[in-house]
Amino acid sequence: MADIAITCSQVWKSYRIYHQRSHTLKEKVLSRRNMYEDFWALKGVDLEVPAGSTMGIIGANGSGKSTLLKTMARILTPNKGWVQVDGTVSPLLELGTGFHPELTGRENVTLAGSLLGHTRRDMKRKYDSIVEFAGIENFMDIPVKNYSTGMYTRLAFAVAISVDPEILLIDEVLSVGDESFQMRCHQRIGELRSEGRTIVLVSHSLETIKALCKRAVWIEGGAVRQVGPSHDVVAGYLGLVHKRVTEARAPESLPANRYGTGEAEITGVRFLDGDGDEPPDFCTGRFLTVRVSYRAAQPIEDATCGIAVFRADSHAYVFGQSTQGARIKLTLSESGTIDMTVPTLPLLKGQYLVTISLERAQVKEVFDLHDREYTFVVIDNPALPTGDGMFHVPTTWTISSSPVPA
Amino acid sequence: MATTISGHSRPGAPPPRGPTTRSFGWLRELVGARELTGNLVRRDLTVRHRGTFLGMLWSLTTPLLIVGLYYFVFKLLFKASPATDAVRPDGNDVPFAVYFFAGLTLWNLFSSSVLTSATSVTSSGYLLNKVYFPRAILPLSTVLSSLVTFGFEVCVLLVVTVAVVGPPSLQLLWAPVIVAVVVGLAFGLALLVSAINVFLRDMAHFLAVLVQLWFWGTPIIYSLGFVAEREDLLTLLRLNPLTGVVVSFRNVMVLDRSPDFKLLAYDAACALVALAVGAAVFGRSQKTFSEIV
Repeated sequence: MADIAITCSQVWKSYRIYHQRSHTLKEKVLSRRNMYEDFWALKGVDLEVPAGSTMGIIGANGSGKSTLLKTMARILTPNKGWVQVDGTVSPLLELGTGFHPELTGRENVTLAGSLLGHTRRDMKRKYDSIVEFAGIENFMDIPVKNYSTGMYTRLAFAVAISVDPEILLIDEVLSVGDESFQMRCHQRIGELRSEGRTIVLVSHSLETIKALCKRAVWIEGGAVRQVGPSHDVVAGYLGLVHKRVTEARAPESLPANRYGTGEAEITGVRFLDGDGDEPPDFCTGRFLTVRVSYRAAQPIEDATCGIAVFRADSHAYVFGQSTQGARIKLTLSESGTIDMTVPTLPLLKGQYLVTISLERAQVKEVFDLHDREYTFVVIDNPALPTGDGMFHVPTTWTISSSPVPA
Repeated sequence: MATTISGHSRPGAPPPRGPTTRSFGWLRELVGARELTGNLVRRDLTVRHRGTFLGMLWSLTTPLLIVGLYYFVFKLLFKASPATDAVRPDGNDVPFAVYFFAGLTLWNLFSSSVLTSATSVTSSGYLLNKVYFPRAILPLSTVLSSLVTFGFEVCVLLVVTVAVVGPPSLQLLWAPVIVAVVVGLAFGLALLVSAINVFLRDMAHFLAVLVQLWFWGTPIIYSLGFVAEREDLLTLLRLNPLTGVVVSFRNVMVLDRSPDFKLLAYDAACALVALAVGAAVFGRSQKTFSEIV
């Protein structure tokens, strides 16, 4: 096998957007000319995917990610340029590709397998493990149209992850299914990766991209904007997305992520370090204070202030605390500030979003809530050991050797 | 195995390599995808008969009912036989129903191949968009499904012939050649109409009408001798590429005569032309199928 599994060279691809598509002779004759315009989904993409690597493709909706993947899968042919693929390819663009509702589960496994490029013998060998994974032994001989959605998805998924081509192209199918599905899937991709298969993955989940892909490419407007280690590319992409979102928010209208009665109002939020300054970023293990400024029409005695922190990339809920939870009686005067201090910040590097709320204690009455409106960035602390995930957890390691048992 | 998917390469770009750049490389791919073809044929047949009480028997019931109908119309209503040559060299009469059924089996092979293949690509949009396979598998598998059904019909034809007319002769050995010509012709047209139907959905409707006319323009229910005194009609019939195969198939299957070699050769030539034209049109247009369907 060559060093480069997939080469894209100056790939251009356009779609015709028909204003009124004529499919019949009458329409063709009467309208004379089809009204259409060309939409360029790919504008000269150059990309190399090394054999045995995992490459993530990220970008906004409509940026051309899926089109690029489809040219690699030979489903679409470029208008200009070329794509060279070295190895057998299985595309996983949806679950249950080629499933026919009238056929039984057993028949569909064979059919779908051969569409993904497997021989009948391959599928026979894999059949038991597919059925076992899907967990529907008793239903394999009834038509899949009689399956529940869950059964259908499980079988489709079992077929999908049974593939072992030299090159695997995946578009978002990983994001369906429950947690255990996702874990199985990530596990399977890990196996394929360690076997030296080439994997190209399109996903909106940047966490997935970072977890599964060594390298990533960021496609914007049909062209490559950045290629490199997936952490860098994701960071670059996030930076831009966040900038755009904040810019878009700048006009002083009431954003959709704010609501409340207005009896009290959040007037500002600042992130402060130990010196009381507002640094550009914070360091794992150091000091962080969130200072909420507010004003109220009249003093409120039974209030509570809540602060919730989310990951910016996955919107995973990191933690949430409130004055009520801390058993502090909060009385809002006409204006003032509330500080929440984290003496040693346990968060690992990344961007975080913060939700602030002022509510009446005990009853659900929101005065003002700003959902994920504020952000701070955490960077690595060179003094601490490196680690992955969200949290720095202080640990000790003990290494001991013992003789190998005979 | 390196595969290149290319548009028009820009000047200066390295030349793309791989099977798809050769103009008919996809035909070779077709051979490589035998298993998928087999599975699709199996799917077609299974889906067609699943849920019906008689299952596979339906593919026999329909032609037998048609034979019964025409037998009623011609033999009982008109009391005339349009089959002037329905007699074996040994003097054995061949019943009109058997005579007609022999031609009908071959006609069904041809017409159902072409009719169902017209929509074979357009009805598979959900596959075209999700996975690559040699697109010509779609019309090919419909032709092969028809061939399987044809096989059943021929078995019935043989049984009936032996029971009613007499033992088959060595002429039967020509049958595979004749069937091959029909399959070639059908596949060529299938490639053509399935590709055209992607761009012009009228094709399927137009074909339904054309096939009706074609049926009467082929000596299935009558013999060539029946129109012997109409020289102009005879010329027209001889130009029909199905005439030779139908006449020859009937000759070897039930009439114990040799094929009409002249007409058969003409039909074989037509089949080659159909294959060449079909392959050229299909090959040129298949790249855009997944975008349009």
